[in-house]
Amino acid sequence: MFTEIIEILDRFLSFFEQSLAFLGHHLFLIFGLLAIVASVTMVFAKNAVHSVLAFLATMICTAACYFTLQAEFLAVAQLLVYAGGIVVLFLFVVMLVELSRFKENRLFQRQTPLAMFVVLLGVVGFLTMFRRLIFAPSASEALTLSPELAEGLDVAGQNAQAISRGMFTGYLLPFETMSVILLIALIGAVVLAKQERV
Amino acid sequence: MIMVSMNTVLFISFTLFSIGVLGVLIRRNALIILMCVELMLNAANINLIAFARHSGTVAGQAFALLVMGLAAAEVAIGLALVVSLYRKKDTVQVDDINLLKG
Repeated sequence: MFTEIIEILDRFLSFFEQSLAFLGHHLFLIFGLLAIVASVTMVFAKNAVHSVLAFLATMICTAACYFTLQAEFLAVAQLLVYAGGIVVLFLFVVMLVELSRFKENRLFQRQTPLAMFVVLLGVVGFLTMFRRLIFAPSASEALTLSPELAEGLDVAGQNAQAISRGMFTGYLLPFETMSVILLIALIGAVVLAKQERV
Repeated sequence: MIMVSMNTVLFISFTLFSIGVLGVLIRRNALIILMCVELMLNAANINLIAFARHSGTVAGQAFALLVMGLAAAEVAIGLALVVSLYRKKDTVQVDDINLLKG
């Protein structure tokens, strides 16, 4: 009696472990599909606040995708910049502009069927153009890091260190340009959102 | 060991990008159009990171970080534009803004 129960329990646990391992192997796919579902919700949501929340879900799923691609620093930066900063900005503006007045109006543009057709055409055209590349056998094998490749990204050590080394040696000029762009954006946002005095 | 193949990455980022394009084309609300632009930038970022991992160099991750900063700057400017538009024209629907329409 007891041995049977233990056997059933054991079988169940091993099944559970196997399915957990399967899920663990395909984490990128799972989070990618979740991101796609959330982004579809974002585009078709009626309420703008729901749209912003779906955007937040999309960004979190994208950050999880970065984690599975072993870009830990970028994943954390994504969470900080998007989930922490940009979503709050969007929510702030949604509450500022009082969208409830527009609720009775149409949600979509007049050219929606045409736009959907064009996007579908683009998708089909892209897939036919690059089908050899995408379905090539070399593209379907798993991305595994060989040790000499892993050294460049410093996956075993600290990812942030590797990025900063690349950023401050090879890509110093883009980095400095980015700081100027951020300054311009800061000043531009203040100037644009300021009240008219004239 | 997480198994990621290049196919999966390309398909998912391509789908996300297409959804972003669709959102920009069909929505009337300027805020949601901005969010869809962000979505497209993120799809490009996924590709950059996957290719960085494929080639084992840090260039893709560095550029993904730069794209992230650029996206933040773009959102700040875009939202300032939306707010000033709301103040001047009292609307955030993009097809109500037709000053240049002949």
